[in-house]
Amino acid sequence: MTTAENFDLNEDQRDALQEIANIGMGQAGSSIAKIWGEFVGLSIPRIAHIDRQSIPSMLTRFVGDLPVNAVRQAFHGQTRGEVVVVFSGGRGDQLAELMGYEDADSVEEQELLLDVANILVGACLGSVAETLGTEIGFSAPSVMGMNVGASQLMRAEELGSGRALFLEVRFTLEKKSFASHLIVLMPVEEIRVLGQALDKFLESL
Amino acid sequence: MPVSVLVVDDSPIARKMLIRALPSNWDIEIAQASNGLEALTAYRAGKVDVMFLDLTMPEMDGYQVLETLRKEDLNCLVIVVSADVQALAQERVLSMGAISFIRKPVTAEGLSDVLKKYGIIV
Repeated sequence: MTTAENFDLNEDQRDALQEIANIGMGQAGSSIAKIWGEFVGLSIPRIAHIDRQSIPSMLTRFVGDLPVNAVRQAFHGQTRGEVVVVFSGGRGDQLAELMGYEDADSVEEQELLLDVANILVGACLGSVAETLGTEIGFSAPSVMGMNVGASQLMRAEELGSGRALFLEVRFTLEKKSFASHLIVLMPVEEIRVLGQALDKFLESL
Repeated sequence: MPVSVLVVDDSPIARKMLIRALPSNWDIEIAQASNGLEALTAYRAGKVDVMFLDLTMPEMDGYQVLETLRKEDLNCLVIVVSADVQALAQERVLSMGAISFIRKPVTAEGLSDVLKKYGIIV
């Protein structure tokens, strides 16, 4: 057994994280539903431990092969990591339409993506941190790619090696073919810290 | 006679959180189900007075359970317990026959307020 495997979350910790993420996703869904004035469908959160080099194939598996727009945002607090928000299945201007823009240019479209990602990430991870009784902060979000395949979002050299925690939640709109995947990536040394926080939460039950 | 309570949620942690928040002086028998199909099976196999029902579940979700209960004229008090806190989700489940909606994470106070409001506990 390698050291990295020792840091994988156990079944109880994964169950706890799934439910805590579920609560966070509900908060994020509600925030964005208020802005869009539409009902937002929520998925069951999926959690996997993967090798960092498998992140692109995992993204493709969850998001699909069609071109997507994506934003990344780092978080830090008791644990750190990065959230990748992938917008798929709809034209970019659908998002602009939802946010009340008539004719958004590409700069406005990018700003919209950043805004929406910021709302989703802030509400979701903010709620997770609150449930775990910890503080969390966020860096400014940045655009990873516009109209590119999900597998092209991260280059091999920035993926690095070792294990990562992959947590996916999905928001969908009933009336439009539009989905937003929120994927949390955490490096191996941070997973141990998260595991401890989850243990503390489990003990409180 | 104890009240039959069925806790329906795919997450064992969520079921545990809910059961922990139930009033300690409430005379109940608790059964659990991890999806909608199991919930309906449990319902048909015996008595369920009060059902705590999650919405987002595999196999059969909470909306489908509400629909089936209504279609088959099944009689029990359903309290939806969900992380989906959109106003529309709450409206939907209430229009489908749930008596109330409790948001996750559940608190003992929130739960006891709802149970009192509907005269389930005094």
